[in-house]
Amino acid sequence: MSVEAKLIIKDLTHYYPDEYTGESVHALENINLQVYENEFVAIVGPSGCGKTTLLNIVAGLLPYRQGIATVDGIDISGPGPDRGVVFQEHAILPWRTVSKNIGHGLELQRLPKTEISRRVHEYIDLVGLTGFEDRYPHELSGGMKQRVAVARTLCADPVIMLMDEPFAAVDAQTRITLQDELNRIVMATRKTVLFITHSVEEAAFLGDRCIVFSRRPGQIKTEIKIQIPREERVWKDMSSNPIFTDARDEILRLVRQEVTSDDEQ
Amino acid sequence: MGAGAEMITYNRLSIALQKRFGRQRLRRMILGSIPFIVLIFLWELNTHFGWYDPIEIPPISAMWEAIFWLQSDCPGFVAAIEGHNDCNLSNNIISSIGRVILAAAVGIPLGVAFGVLAGINRVLSGYLEPVGIFMNSVSGIAWIPLAIVWFGVGWETTLFIMLNTIFWLIFFNTMMGVRAVPRVLVQGVQTLGGSRWDTIRHVYIPGALPSIITGMRMSLGFGWRALIAAEMIGGDSGLGFMIFVSAVEFKSEEVFLGVILISIIYLISDRWLLVPLEKWTVERWGLVWKPT
Repeated sequence: MSVEAKLIIKDLTHYYPDEYTGESVHALENINLQVYENEFVAIVGPSGCGKTTLLNIVAGLLPYRQGIATVDGIDISGPGPDRGVVFQEHAILPWRTVSKNIGHGLELQRLPKTEISRRVHEYIDLVGLTGFEDRYPHELSGGMKQRVAVARTLCADPVIMLMDEPFAAVDAQTRITLQDELNRIVMATRKTVLFITHSVEEAAFLGDRCIVFSRRPGQIKTEIKIQIPREERVWKDMSSNPIFTDARDEILRLVRQEVTSDDEQ
Repeated sequence: MGAGAEMITYNRLSIALQKRFGRQRLRRMILGSIPFIVLIFLWELNTHFGWYDPIEIPPISAMWEAIFWLQSDCPGFVAAIEGHNDCNLSNNIISSIGRVILAAAVGIPLGVAFGVLAGINRVLSGYLEPVGIFMNSVSGIAWIPLAIVWFGVGWETTLFIMLNTIFWLIFFNTMMGVRAVPRVLVQGVQTLGGSRWDTIRHVYIPGALPSIITGMRMSLGFGWRALIAAEMIGGDSGLGFMIFVSAVEFKSEEVFLGVILISIIYLISDRWLLVPLEKWTVERWGLVWKPT
């Protein structure tokens, strides 16, 4: 029995013109990737390897010409609520309160007000923002803003949640808390996730599968399965978990290869 | 003994005032009113010593009396609101304010609409920007002679002059504000399923609001000035018209009255309209720096 993947990327190659020089930049080379239901796929690679380009293509924010990209069997041809994105930072609207931001997707889908408020409450509880419903983003810490961003994306109930280095801009302590919480949230909602990061630890901690990218043009170098049940993924237990430490060291070695070979040029 | 009691009363009054208005605000109120007090004092001295003739600088009392003199035939407050023919002063005030409101009601929505479109569409901004710069470079009142030829003396001419000022200011400020909206905010709404119209309503307009409010401030100031000039030359009523007619008749107390009323009305509209609007929106959203 074969299960159809939620996200399918086939033979995707992408060039884009450089913003300043106008020269064609070879960003992605022959990417083949499937993400199945309830799966958490983390893409890790050196900076500038094209992983954000890939996410933008899947999000529909960047048009592509060569290759195939489908979600639920439908060709990607623009942004849509089936592919919610959590951006790096500052993507929630400053003029909307926490609950208005979280309910925005449902508001755009023209759902009845009572239904919106019910679901908003559910997700406010899930991300631990109870009591902050009527606050504006500028009154929140960086970590809380990202919780709002995650809740906003989940509340619209996308087929797949795309995350573009969502915790890169928060401090180290908050990052660990947010990673633990994301695990709990993914477990609770059983969401399919495509997660972009340059942090090896983050990828190994969160991903069911880690895809290691080469440096530009981005190619899939290796894929590493990390078979730790989600309920066992808690930061305080990780240093004594050989599956995690082995996977992390292996990914780190692969990424280092890319970075050092870059230096030698 | 008496001096001590006086000090206590003075201290109590001072503390009560500070509590009522806040120390910093009180300080600013006092500092800000000093130049006005000095001016009024000099003005009174002039009346007292007669340095300048009353026709050049009329006494404050004459200006005060002019209010009642101009309104003397007015049957009452209701008649003044209704614009009774004999309510000279209030009619001119209402006429000027009405024209500002009319021009704002037409110019601001139009300016915002075109500004948003030009802000998100490079082709449209390519068309509109040069003509906008051209229009902005010409002082609004430069159009008055031509406007009189086109529309005659009356409200059409004053409306045209004001629109010329308001529209382009709002247009430019909105366009700049829209361009400064971070792209990720727009992309966030698009990936939630928002349409182009949704991004305009929910992202571009609120995001450009700090800039739009600045534009409203400027256009209120410049528009009001243009209106007074337009009323003087091409108007048949209004404070500018009143100033002009009074000057011709050498009633300088009415000229002074008109000028002072103009600044008071401007001040009130800024304090009671734009400042609250700013507080209610961009300050609440944390989009502007404010002293704490």
